[in-house]
Amino acid sequence: MRLEILNPQAATIEHTAKAAHRASDLRGKRIGLYWNLKAGGDHALTRAAELLSQRLPGVTFKRYWGEVGSLFRMATASDVQRIAVECDAVIGTTSD
Amino acid sequence: MVEMEKAGVPTVSFTAAGFVKDARRSAQAFGLTALPVAVVPLPLTNQTPEEVRRAIDGCIDQVIQGLTESPATIVEAPAAGPAAERLTIEGADTLEALDRMNALFLERGWSDAFPLVPPTPDRVERMLGGTRRARDEVVAVLEPGFGVGTVEKIAINAVMAGCRPEHLPVVLAAVEAVADPRFLLRIAAMSTGPHAPLILVNGPIAKELGINSGRCTLGPGAQSYPNVVIGRALRLIYMNVGQAYPGLMDMDTIGSANKFSLCAAENEEANPWEPFHVEKGFDRAESAVTVQTVYGQTDVLDFANTTPERLLQTIVSAATNIAIGSTGRWLEGHWADPRTKVEVRDHGLLMLCPEHAAIIAKHGWSKADVRRFLYEHARLPFRLLRWTKEPSTLIAGRPDLQWLLRYPDLELPIFEVPECFEIAVVGGPAGRSMYFYGAHEPVTKPIAR
Repeated sequence: MRLEILNPQAATIEHTAKAAHRASDLRGKRIGLYWNLKAGGDHALTRAAELLSQRLPGVTFKRYWGEVGSLFRMATASDVQRIAVECDAVIGTTSD
Repeated sequence: MVEMEKAGVPTVSFTAAGFVKDARRSAQAFGLTALPVAVVPLPLTNQTPEEVRRAIDGCIDQVIQGLTESPATIVEAPAAGPAAERLTIEGADTLEALDRMNALFLERGWSDAFPLVPPTPDRVERMLGGTRRARDEVVAVLEPGFGVGTVEKIAINAVMAGCRPEHLPVVLAAVEAVADPRFLLRIAAMSTGPHAPLILVNGPIAKELGINSGRCTLGPGAQSYPNVVIGRALRLIYMNVGQAYPGLMDMDTIGSANKFSLCAAENEEANPWEPFHVEKGFDRAESAVTVQTVYGQTDVLDFANTTPERLLQTIVSAATNIAIGSTGRWLEGHWADPRTKVEVRDHGLLMLCPEHAAIIAKHGWSKADVRRFLYEHARLPFRLLRWTKEPSTLIAGRPDLQWLLRYPDLELPIFEVPECFEIAVVGGPAGRSMYFYGAHEPVTKPIAR
């Protein structure tokens, strides 16, 4: 007996994005610390900055959180633009 | 983070081990599967600062790697290609083929774990007869996976759920509701919370289709058959169209029986005020469906009180629950989607049983009076509204409200405005209402035949 059925899964819209170019050396770079306001994220970024400061002479840090949201914050296009101008790299938290 | 990469900024994100698959799949949905992550053993929430420090110590090399090495060097397992549009299941007889179909759907994650009705071409064709819309019309693109929800794909899932063709217009309208930017589907579908879509049907179609508005409207039982299958169809659509598969992009910590199906019709005959959809701008004679994301609910048993003030005080006690994420969340801002610039508040939904509604109305109270009472009385001291949140999030997110930290006993309402209390009249006789802890706002759409 052959039961023919239709696939319930929808096609998906495929997005493509290119990763940013990476410099091989972070010394002297400006690193953004992006916190989405989830608990623990601020402590994580603080520790990351401490450790990187020990390893990477001249590195500087700036903190960001998203412009919109409540329990967790999300970055708007203008947030992203500002970060792109002010930072050479970003460490983000938390994707749970 | 994908947007930052597109803007030319290398990124790396801290992600707990149990969420790496989710992170990869989410990044894939936005076009960058190999988005770098630095893996910590456990979520950073519920950890002391010292525990967080140790977690970061353990993955700092991954941070440096993520920011200095091309993500293309991360070896990704090739994604499985999509399955064929038509599948053939073989069996010794029909029942065996059906068993094998259900086993296959479980294996592929296409099932809610209850046995499914086979979506044969013939059944889907009959289902499509329930609407005048073309089978290839795109009803919505559903997040988090950006699935293209054509009428046909929705119909396939409706067949699987056990819907009849006449139920399809309700299902289609529910899909339109959850796809509305104000519904914030991405957040609702992917959360670590038990976010369930509660469907409320209004208008003549409820009676025509036998969508139960009385006793046991939320099920179980034969009297709520349309309710159950319509709600079930929406869950299957969340999964098979929106890609909100449990453990992959639906990261609900414990889960909820509400997520299988949650659908009621308003008991408009017992409603002493205007129906729910009329409040939302529809004509009484129109049929409409509302979908609201809810975390869960509580029974509100009150057999004794006969005045609005005392009855509503019982409901106040249910609403003022600090374990619910939406309690007092307005203090940190509104839910938002930066892509659409939509901002919404959290709403709770009060399903008043006919008795309670009658008592309140008999004393001359309107829905606005009910909302005002709930808003003014459902208050908690600021320190309790912040019980599950760290001070740092208020200082960062709402520096204008930092002064509240000096007044921990100041009582504040759990919601920002009275309109955050939604009210519907539902259910059968006996003095038990139900209060749903909601997230975001409800969205109401017309049901087109």
